[in-house]
Amino acid sequence: MRRQLLYSILALAVLALAVVPIGVAVFVLGFAYGDSPCVMCWEQRIGMALVALIGLFVIRYGPKPKYIGLAVLVAIWGVFMGIRHTGMHAARDVGQGFSAEILGAHTYTWALLIYWVAVALMGLLLMMTNKEDIEERPRPLGALGTLAGVVFLVVIAANVVQAFASTGPPPFMGQGDPVRFSFSPKHWVWSLEEWSPAPISLRGRWSIDKPGVDGLPGGPGPIANAPTATMLREAKIGFQLAGTPTDLAYDAASSQFLITTEHGVYLADDTLSKVNRYTVVDAGYSVDLGRFAGAAFLDKGAVLAVGENKSFVVLQPTDKADANANFKYFLESFDRFDEKARSRFGTVRARMMYIMSAAYDPASNSVYTVTVPNNKVKRLVVSRFDRADMTLSEEFTPTLAADAGLTLAGKQTLNDFYVTGATIADGNMYAISAAFSTLLTIDLRAREVTAARAVPGVVRPVGLAARQDELHILGEDGRVWVVAR
Amino acid sequence: MEFLNLVVILVTGYLVLRKPHKERLAFGLLVFSVLFMVFLFSVATRTGLLPGVNY
Repeated sequence: MRRQLLYSILALAVLALAVVPIGVAVFVLGFAYGDSPCVMCWEQRIGMALVALIGLFVIRYGPKPKYIGLAVLVAIWGVFMGIRHTGMHAARDVGQGFSAEILGAHTYTWALLIYWVAVALMGLLLMMTNKEDIEERPRPLGALGTLAGVVFLVVIAANVVQAFASTGPPPFMGQGDPVRFSFSPKHWVWSLEEWSPAPISLRGRWSIDKPGVDGLPGGPGPIANAPTATMLREAKIGFQLAGTPTDLAYDAASSQFLITTEHGVYLADDTLSKVNRYTVVDAGYSVDLGRFAGAAFLDKGAVLAVGENKSFVVLQPTDKADANANFKYFLESFDRFDEKARSRFGTVRARMMYIMSAAYDPASNSVYTVTVPNNKVKRLVVSRFDRADMTLSEEFTPTLAADAGLTLAGKQTLNDFYVTGATIADGNMYAISAAFSTLLTIDLRAREVTAARAVPGVVRPVGLAARQDELHILGEDGRVWVVAR
Repeated sequence: MEFLNLVVILVTGYLVLRKPHKERLAFGLLVFSVLFMVFLFSVATRTGLLPGVNY
């Protein structure tokens, strides 16, 4: 009785799998509505067919370990395929995706659920199975098992027809963007595109190197005729930092410099000789802040530290901080700042790039970041985030101003610059590029590079601050080069 | 290639239903079909074998 119940449940599961996802996909979505599976959809559909087929094996030959084991392997591979496929579209705007929807969800997302249910069902059946259920010889299928088997064959036969029309005989293979299904051979497209040579990678376009100033090119940069900046003096930070500095900012209202290290935030006097207050942020709490790469003073004395991954923290200097309440935010110096916000800047054009600079513009009440090129994407993108909601409000790739009198050298472009420090004054962004030691002036309204100056002698710059008519360039070794703005 | 794999699945299903004594052959075809599916999916995703999301 129990054994018969088990086989009946299994036959119903095979029937459901054959009819609902696979049958509906071929007869309704395919033959009726002209939907064609992409190459990944095909493999997900085939995986479901294989789970159903293994169900028929169990109905016929009993729950042998090799069948159950193979079914589990196919189902977890199916879960992986579902994640891999859904991952391509999961972060898009609401409603966007690929191909048809079923009950408000795109077809490939249903694969995740179906395979997950298959694994869960197999676990349940295994728990209900005893040693004596193992059959010595093939058993009769019974009415329900036969029905499941016949329906399975009919559905697979229909899929064979659709696969022949949509993907063709070997060596033709499914396509990334298939044309809609048609019974007319005139509309069939058989493709070998998936066999074309392509680099093999685990993470693909998401495999992006972390930014840094190691190994950057020097010498003449993309701008052939950049004049040399007027060097006023050279100084050095007069106190010890825990780690190497990563950015610099200046606040005229409080006459203070802001310096960041990997996770440290320092407020120093305007001669960079004394620390007024500091803290070390717990970069692993709630948001992975990464390594601080940008620093800026915001409104009302608040300070901003931005990680290279564009995650940020806003701190308010105060002498009334509750050290115990701040334990979760800081690793050192718990009573010198209050944390006001901790979140992430989201971008569009800069999405696949890290940043190494940040600046605040009081005129627009906005925070700016500038991208650095990487092993996958080489593009200079300036992003603006409204301070009110810290959300992306503008993004652009600056061009060379026609009246700047500057010319590009050879095949190099502005995208070759590697901006590691930025500051804003009088509507202009000043940006120091660690590659080619060049100081850029970007008109934020015109979105143009209006000036470029070579800064010879500057080594591994990581920060830039505007102080009156001066620009202070911070080096990774703590040296500060002061040039005329 | 998907066409070929589905034909193999169809034949395997037929063997299970109508020629149950050919269990070894059916299981061999089943394993081939599983490996073939894994291979084809890997070919299709070779430029990014892992899910294309933020890591």
